[in-house]
Amino acid sequence: MGVARDWHGQFCRAVDGIPLTMYKIVRNIHLLLASFSLPFLIMYGVSAVQMSHSAWFQMKPAVHEHELSITAGLTDARAIAREIMDRERALKGEVSNIQPNDTGVVLRIVVPGTVHEVRYARGSGVARVKTSVAGVMGRLNRLHHWAGFWHEPVSMKVWGFAVAIVSTALVLLGASGLYMWFTRRSERRIGVALLGINLAFAITLLTLLRISGP
Amino acid sequence: MRNLVLKLHIYAGLLTFAQLMLYGIAGLVVSSQTAVERPKVPHTIRYVPFTAAPSAPDKQVADDVYRTLQLPLTRPMPGWFLRRTPENDLLLDFYNINGIWRVVVLEREHRLRIEEIRNGLGTFLGDAHAATTGDDEAPSLVRAWAFYNEFAMWCLLAFCASGLYLWLTAQARSWWAWASLATGTVSFAALWMAFR
Repeated sequence: MGVARDWHGQFCRAVDGIPLTMYKIVRNIHLLLASFSLPFLIMYGVSAVQMSHSAWFQMKPAVHEHELSITAGLTDARAIAREIMDRERALKGEVSNIQPNDTGVVLRIVVPGTVHEVRYARGSGVARVKTSVAGVMGRLNRLHHWAGFWHEPVSMKVWGFAVAIVSTALVLLGASGLYMWFTRRSERRIGVALLGINLAFAITLLTLLRISGP
Repeated sequence: MRNLVLKLHIYAGLLTFAQLMLYGIAGLVVSSQTAVERPKVPHTIRYVPFTAAPSAPDKQVADDVYRTLQLPLTRPMPGWFLRRTPENDLLLDFYNINGIWRVVVLEREHRLRIEEIRNGLGTFLGDAHAATTGDDEAPSLVRAWAFYNEFAMWCLLAFCASGLYLWLTAQARSWWAWASLATGTVSFAALWMAFR
């Protein structure tokens, strides 16, 4: 209520004809979504800069290797990964890139920013683990690409949920921002021009890209 | 000062509105997918006459195919990307933002088989959001889009800074906005730690 009272004088000049209550609701939604999403949006923005200008950043991961002895003779990659994760609590993540070969199995255990490449020798039961840990920018890069609910570990499902919320928030931030701009009569003319430029450019280019086949 | 920041916040938002919507939609699209797999089934298959130059290495044949077909928004096939089918025919995947033209050089039949594999609209929008200016060899249409993407990317960071400034300089700051910021920050930090 404080916000409404303090802003009231300026507000009445800016939003001719638009109901105050509606404006307040939309503004509060805009603020609520933006404040929750802020750290995620910063992550997306910074990692996008990294991807667009990769030469600006040092992305070499820290790599170390070690060996583990687990049950010999295993053929199921999931059983191998399970035993390794049970044996070493720090080794956790999603099992991927499974490649059986004549002597054993190669697989990866992945969390965003960390990849454990496991080379399991069936005969000896020795699992050689090569761990690559990305720095801050590398981790941001991986998080930028991580989404969806189909990942196995709970933490990744939660991340996928957060991505869905932030994505929805971004759409709603745009829509609520558009509404709030429209209430400011003094900004309408220039705003329509800017929005028109944006939409014309985006729709034209996306259409040309889409019709380029296949 | 506050009024100026507010104007810039609004103008930049309007100038990048479509991109911000696209980023949100791209996030929702990947959230709704059940795997990272892309479509592999061609929607059409056609044949084009083609004779490979005698004694030409694969790379030269790939370049000849590229020049012959002139597939839009594709680029010449890099040497490391050349593959062969189980029947030992040269296989060339020409990618563009909409999918793949999978070309098989059927040398004994003197023709090319062209399979057209088209991405869905969601995947297309997801790929469009990922276009960057770092790809110097991208087709000009993609480059043009990438430059606007780059602008929107910097604007997104500027929105974070200017939005925070506008909120902190407002005369009243609601407790629930602080709570929302704290929830988002703690959630992000907790997930960051969970992935360590």
